[in-house]
Amino acid sequence: MNKIMYLEFERCIGCRACQAACRECGDHDAKERNYVEYVDFTESRQTFPMLCMQCKDPACARVCPANAIQITDEGVVLSAMEEKCIGCRNCTFGCPFGIPKFDFEKNKMYKCDMCYDRTRDDIAPMCASVCPSDAIRFIDFDEMQQLRRKRTQMNLVEGKKPQEGNKWDYVPEFFGVYTDSQS
Amino acid sequence: MSQFLVKEGVKNQIRKGEKLVTTHCCYCGMQCGMHIRVNEKTNKVVGVEPRYDWVLTRGKMCPKGVTAYQTVDHPDRIKRPLIKKNGKFVESSWEEALDLIERKFKGLQSNYGKDALSVYGGVSMTNEKCYLVGKYARVGLGTRYLDYNGRYCMSSAAGGFNKTLGMDRGSTLPWTELEHTDCFFMAGSNTAECHPTSIQWFWRAKDKGAKIIVADPRETATARVADVHLDLLPGTDSALANGIMHLLIKHEYVDNEYVQERCNNFAELKEMTAKFTPEYTSKITGIAVEKIVKAAHIFGKSPRSVVMFARGAEQQTAGVDNVSLYTSMALLRGQIGKFASGVATFTGQGNGQGGREHGQKSDLLPGYRKLTDPKAVEYISGVWGINPEDMPKPGVSAYEMFDLMLNKTIRGLHVICSNPVVSSPNINHVYKAMEALDFLVVSDFFLSETAELADVVLPATTWAEDEGTTTNIEGRVIHIRKVVEPLGESKPDWQIMSMIAERMGKGKHFQYNEPREIFDELRLASKGGKADYFGVTYEKIDEQDGVFWPAPAEDHPGSPSVFKEKFATEDGRANLAVCDWKGPAEVKSKDYPLWLTTGRVVFHYLSGNQTRRVGFLMEQCPEPFVEMHPELASQYQVENGEKVKLTTPRGDMIVPVKITKAIRKDVLFVPYHWGKQQAVNQLTSPALDPTSRMPEFKVCAVKLEKLTK
Repeated sequence: MNKIMYLEFERCIGCRACQAACRECGDHDAKERNYVEYVDFTESRQTFPMLCMQCKDPACARVCPANAIQITDEGVVLSAMEEKCIGCRNCTFGCPFGIPKFDFEKNKMYKCDMCYDRTRDDIAPMCASVCPSDAIRFIDFDEMQQLRRKRTQMNLVEGKKPQEGNKWDYVPEFFGVYTDSQS
Repeated sequence: MSQFLVKEGVKNQIRKGEKLVTTHCCYCGMQCGMHIRVNEKTNKVVGVEPRYDWVLTRGKMCPKGVTAYQTVDHPDRIKRPLIKKNGKFVESSWEEALDLIERKFKGLQSNYGKDALSVYGGVSMTNEKCYLVGKYARVGLGTRYLDYNGRYCMSSAAGGFNKTLGMDRGSTLPWTELEHTDCFFMAGSNTAECHPTSIQWFWRAKDKGAKIIVADPRETATARVADVHLDLLPGTDSALANGIMHLLIKHEYVDNEYVQERCNNFAELKEMTAKFTPEYTSKITGIAVEKIVKAAHIFGKSPRSVVMFARGAEQQTAGVDNVSLYTSMALLRGQIGKFASGVATFTGQGNGQGGREHGQKSDLLPGYRKLTDPKAVEYISGVWGINPEDMPKPGVSAYEMFDLMLNKTIRGLHVICSNPVVSSPNINHVYKAMEALDFLVVSDFFLSETAELADVVLPATTWAEDEGTTTNIEGRVIHIRKVVEPLGESKPDWQIMSMIAERMGKGKHFQYNEPREIFDELRLASKGGKADYFGVTYEKIDEQDGVFWPAPAEDHPGSPSVFKEKFATEDGRANLAVCDWKGPAEVKSKDYPLWLTTGRVVFHYLSGNQTRRVGFLMEQCPEPFVEMHPELASQYQVENGEKVKLTTPRGDMIVPVKITKAIRKDVLFVPYHWGKQQAVNQLTSPALDPTSRMPEFKVCAVKLEKLTK
């Protein structure tokens, strides 16, 4: 698996197909592991999707006292192992993106695993597959680099500078999965 | 033939013990490609898999599409016919239900004449079924009273296109060309919520620098990123279009050669638009002058543009005018019939395109033939094997049928694939009409609000339990596959109609073993008509990713783009629209001081009869709401989430408030997917467009009241 998840928040149209699709993944037990939120509905309809960043040094795994959160060779951070998870919920508090969720019935954490049963065969995760606006994409690293360079270039094209109707200036940015700033 | 179609190099996940069946979604006109997962042992539908290689949607789906499969094996499915006895539904055999229908239908017709019966169809079903609804009403029952829910959906677009271009194909170009377009002018379309998978094409074009102009009272997801958001008042589209054309002429953006060669009425149009100066247009529409001017310049300068519109512009008493005027904008710029440019309407229902072409409408016969044309009547009578004299005359439009029920002209009704007591305007009136009926039959797979009123409910199949074709938003005929056998004793609508026709003594006209035979008859019936399907076959659809009509011969590949050389009018020239702004039928007053408009949310489809039963969708949007600007909210002292009362001269409802700046300060918006007390259609105006007979869902005057605690 040599592909990455690439998010472009301003493309999001708030349809939540990614959430519906997340429930359809084989190992997901019909529970979604991503979310879509309004930035501020009073101001605008701008929404953004959020999924696991699959951190190199994940806070969820670091704070797990039982070492229940495993990372695959490809770097995918998995849900807590059933036999190890003690249900302390440290991971749900530790994650800065609010990704790990807690199943109170099973007393166990669950989280986005990038649809590991699909991506290990190079098939796109469900969320990226269905996203109608390409806000979530599953693409080659090189393609991602190209897309990012292209966005810088587009800012030079007339009419592409921030202007009327351009309300995504305050969309959050963070490591690895972000769009170029407009400056 | 393999049930799982996939192009070379495309990988799908196929789980152990499962197979995939390639088909399309059951909901909107995008008809997104999808594979349905079927458990091989139990033969049950278990899920969905993206269809990455479907040319229009590339695996993408909206939340309705992702969860569509959940309606197939749903616990609410009606599995056996239901007969109402002493006010309660009792399960019965098909035999008993058909006996009752035969007795009642024959009784009503012998006492009150053939036209005492009526049929109300829908277009969320295959071409085969839509075609058969027309034949069932006219041959099977022999009644003139036939219409369908497309009257609320596509009839103004049809009226406008027929008037200006001479033919009603929803899009003049294939949508795979949209990424090469330089400018989109979208009016009255909340594209991102109503046709989410189309967004990929707009965003792709935008990535290349395309401009987007959106005319909508609300700042929708498309309006938010638009280069210009024309925040017009509901019901003022014709003023806006005239205003833009005024500027196109003034600033010499008109393609004179194209207009001279291919269009009529330019001088008249120039004269009509003369008064629509930006100032005058601004006064009517409520849009700032600078925005109108900016939009006209962007649109005028763009070498390739597409003008698009949807129900916002169409569901008005001036719906046909609006469509004609917006189409004329594209004509003035010389865009129609060229690469990546043209005009398109967003088809709201799955088969809104195909379903309106083949004779479900009160005045149309298959192939877009007119019932008033003796030659058309003769040809179709030949195909159907009836006497031309026996062909019923044109009836009345959908909403007008309810008036005839109230005055007892119509006494029996068969509703197929529709839920008019939720989707019609002014439903308090519609309820009275339905209750006045002597006998009501409803075919559906869930007990809709309309079905609750029925004397007999016949269990129909879902889209996954029958084969057929639909025609998507572009005019591309596509293949819907049968995924599983019908649940319980449910039957596809074509079988139900054939069985009733048999009981009415018309069985010899309805001898079908499978949908293909109906399609072959449809091909013949449409041959030589405007919507010519003669060259479309199931095999050709699979071979070439769908076939665009018209396809007049068996070796014809179909017509992705239309009007390349000439228009479908009698003289081959387009008729530019010369229409003044008329204003909506109901205007705000002292008693009803605000504007109300209605629409969809992304999580629900039409009357919500299917989507209100899907867990994920109901979690996201369980109830209607009224959207309003914070400035308006503060004037009425209401808070976010607080319940308020909305009243129009026709009805009232209590609904929670959602406050956002993404809407005009003088407009309220309520989505329409709920029934009974939650239905905004208790409030909407039934005023009809004089040509299309489409109701004015999108504009009425409303009173807002804070509830006392």
